[in-house]
Amino acid sequence: MRKKILSAMLSLTMLCTALSGCGSSAAKEESKAPEQNSSEARGSEEKAEANAELEGDITFWHSFTQGPRLETIQEAADKFMEEHPKVTIKIETFSWNDFYTKWTTGLASGNVPDMSTALVGQVSEMINSDAIIPLNGLIDDIGRDKFYENALNELSVDGNNYAVPLYSHAMVMWVRKDLLEKNNLEVPKTWDELYEEAKALTKDGIYGLSFPCGSTDFQATNFLNFYVKGAGGSLLTDDLKANLTSDLAIEGINYWLKVYKDCSPKDSINYNVLDQATLYYQGKTAFDFNSGFQISGVAANSPDLLDYVDCYPIPTIKGTEQKGITTSNQPLVIWKNSKHPEICEAFIKTLYEEDTYVKFLHSVPVGMLPAIKGIEDSEAYKEDPTIQKFAHAEEVISSQIPGGTAIGFEHGPSVQAGILTNQHVIEEMFQDIITNGTDVKTAAKEAEDKLNSLMEAATQ
Amino acid sequence: MKTRSYTKWLFVLPAVIVVAALFIYPIFSSLFFSMTSKNLIRPRYSFLGLKNYKDILSDPKFWAAFLNSLKWTVYSLLGQILVGFTAALALNRVKLFKGMYKTLLIIPWAFPSIVIAFSWTWILNGVYGILPNLLVKWKIYETAPQFLTEKNLAFIVLVLINIWFGAPMIMVNVLSALQTVPQDQYEAAKIDGASALQSFQHITIPHIKLVMGLLVVLRTVWIFNNFDLIYLITGGGPAGSTQTVPLYAYEMGWGTKLLGKSSAVTVLLFIFLMSVCIIYFTIMNCWEREENK
Repeated sequence: MRKKILSAMLSLTMLCTALSGCGSSAAKEESKAPEQNSSEARGSEEKAEANAELEGDITFWHSFTQGPRLETIQEAADKFMEEHPKVTIKIETFSWNDFYTKWTTGLASGNVPDMSTALVGQVSEMINSDAIIPLNGLIDDIGRDKFYENALNELSVDGNNYAVPLYSHAMVMWVRKDLLEKNNLEVPKTWDELYEEAKALTKDGIYGLSFPCGSTDFQATNFLNFYVKGAGGSLLTDDLKANLTSDLAIEGINYWLKVYKDCSPKDSINYNVLDQATLYYQGKTAFDFNSGFQISGVAANSPDLLDYVDCYPIPTIKGTEQKGITTSNQPLVIWKNSKHPEICEAFIKTLYEEDTYVKFLHSVPVGMLPAIKGIEDSEAYKEDPTIQKFAHAEEVISSQIPGGTAIGFEHGPSVQAGILTNQHVIEEMFQDIITNGTDVKTAAKEAEDKLNSLMEAATQ
Repeated sequence: MKTRSYTKWLFVLPAVIVVAALFIYPIFSSLFFSMTSKNLIRPRYSFLGLKNYKDILSDPKFWAAFLNSLKWTVYSLLGQILVGFTAALALNRVKLFKGMYKTLLIIPWAFPSIVIAFSWTWILNGVYGILPNLLVKWKIYETAPQFLTEKNLAFIVLVLINIWFGAPMIMVNVLSALQTVPQDQYEAAKIDGASALQSFQHITIPHIKLVMGLLVVLRTVWIFNNFDLIYLITGGGPAGSTQTVPLYAYEMGWGTKLLGKSSAVTVLLFIFLMSVCIIYFTIMNCWEREENK
C-alpha cells in the first residue's frame, strides 16, 4: 500500500514537473518571440523598455587581436555592462584565419557566439548556412543613409541586411619614397612601370615587390584580382562561375609570375598576409599592396621609415583610371543561435556612438576608416596626429572606398565569391606553376574546374 | 560454492565509460559520416554508401599524400632511432655530468610543437633567417637557400626537424632499458673472450629489443599521424610537396568542408595504422615467445 502511495506521489510530481516544464518553455518562447523579431518590428516605446531591462550573457568573437583595438572594444563592452548591470559580455579573440575554422566547426557543434566580426567573403557562407539573422532594424536605427550604399549592398541578400559594416578600408599601392627618389623613379601608374621599377629596386637586400602565394591565405587571389578587376574584369563570370582562363586572367597570372621571378623573395611562395606585410614593415620591400594598416605596422617595426612611406592608387594596364577597386567593409554579425539578439543589437549601436567610434578608429589610424559618412570631417576624428601626418594616404584610401567591393562581389554578394578567397585554390595554382613548372593555361584550367566543383557543391 | 564479485567491475566502470565516450564514439561517428555527404556547415546530408571511399582512392592527391606520409614516417623513424639510440649508448658510458647531458638532449622534446615550428620557420626564413644568411656570409651559398620553399629541400628539412624533435624520446627510453642490463653478463662475456660487438649483439640487443619494439610501434603511429609540425612549418606546401594524409584529411574537412570525405580518409588511415600495428605486435609476440622458450 505504501509503495502504491509513493508511486502515485512520484507520478504526480513528474506530471507536474513536465507540465511546469512545458509551461515555462512556452513562456520562454513567448518572451523570446519579440527578441527574435526585434530587428524587424520595433515600436520605439517597446524598444526603450526592452533596453532598460536588458538582461543576459552574450559572447562576442572578434579578430581585433592587436592591443589598442582590443582595448577599445573591451572598454566599450565594460561601459555597456556598467550601464546594463544585468548584462555580461564575454569577449573572445581569434586571428582571422583561426576565426574561419572556429565558426565553421562551431556551427557544426552548435558552439557559435552571439555576435562576431567576420570577413565579407564569409558573410555569404553564413547566410547560406542560415547561421546569422538580418539586421535591417539595427541599420535603420543607426541611420541607413549614413552607410555607404556599396558597403550595405555587399552584406545584403534579398533586401535583408545581414551584417553591419564597422569600418572600411581599401587596397592601395604602398611605396618607399626614399628608394624611388634615390633611384630617380616616379610612382608607377601602369603594371609594366611597376614591374620595371620593382626589378630595378631589387638589389642590396631589398626586394622590389614580394608576390605572396602561401596556401593558408588568399593573398595571391588578392593580387590577381587587382590586375583583373582594375581592368574591368572579374575572377567570376556573370553566372557566378570561376573565371581564371580569360585572356585577362591569364595575362594577370603571367604578370605575377614574372614579378615572383624577378622582384620577389623566393620564400614568398609560402607567405601569408602577415609575412608579406612584415617585409614592408621592416623596409625589405620597395612596393606592397595593402590597406592603411601598413602605417601602424611600419611604426611598430621600423619607426625610422615612417617619413618615407606613402600610398597611391593601384596601377592599371594602361595607366588609366581604375575600373574596379578592392575594398573591405568589416562586418559585424549576430548569430541565429543567440538567445539575446536584443543585447547584441544594443551593444553594436553603442559602438557607433561618435566618441566610442572615433576612439575605435583612432586605435589604428588610417588603417580603419569610417564606415559612416561624415565622421571623417569631424574635428574629433581629424585631430589624431597619424591621420594628420598621413593626410595624403588617408585621402587616397578614402577616395577608393565608395566605388569598391570585396573580391568577387562586383556581381553582388555570393557564396561563390567567398569560395574564391576561402579555399586557396588560386594560391595552390601559383604554387603548382612555380614549383612543378606546370603550364599556365593548364594550371589555370585545373584551378578553374576545382573552384567550379566547390562552388557547385556549396550551392546544391 | 564460490560467489562472483562484481565490485571490481564497478571500479573500472568510470574508465570504461570514458574510453567509450572518447574513443569508441568518435570511431563509429567517423565510420558513419564517411558514408554520408556530411558538410561541415550544413545540417542536412544523405547516405552515399562507399562513394566517398571510391572518390578518395581515385584521387591522385590522396596517393601523393599517402606516399609522402610513408616517406615521412620511415625517414623520421629511422633517423630518430639512429640518433636516439646512439645518444643513449653514449650517455650510458658517460660518467660525469650525465644528468646535465640528459637534460640538454631532452630539450627539443620539452617544447610545444608551436614553439618549435615558429623557431625553425624563423631560423630558416629565406629573407631574414639566421641560417640562410650565415650560409651566404660564409660563401657556402651564393644566394639564400630556400629551405622551406624548394619542394625537395622542404621535405628533407621537415624530416630533419622531426628527427631532432623525436630522437630525445627514443634516447630516454633506450637509456632506461640499457640501465636494466645486468653488468655481470658483460663481465662474464668479457671473461669468455667476447668482443664488444658480440656483447652488444648477444647481451644488449636481447635486453632492449622489446622496449625498442614498443617504441617503434608508438612512434610509427605518432609520426604517421603528425599534423602540427608540418602544418605550422609548411602548411603542406609548396604545391602539396609536404602534404601528408592527416593534412589531406584536414584540407578535405576544414578547407572544403566535406566532412564525409574527410571521415573516409581518417577511416582509411585508421585501417592502415591498425594493420601496421598488428604486424608489429605479431613480430613482438614472436620475440617474447622465443625469449620464454
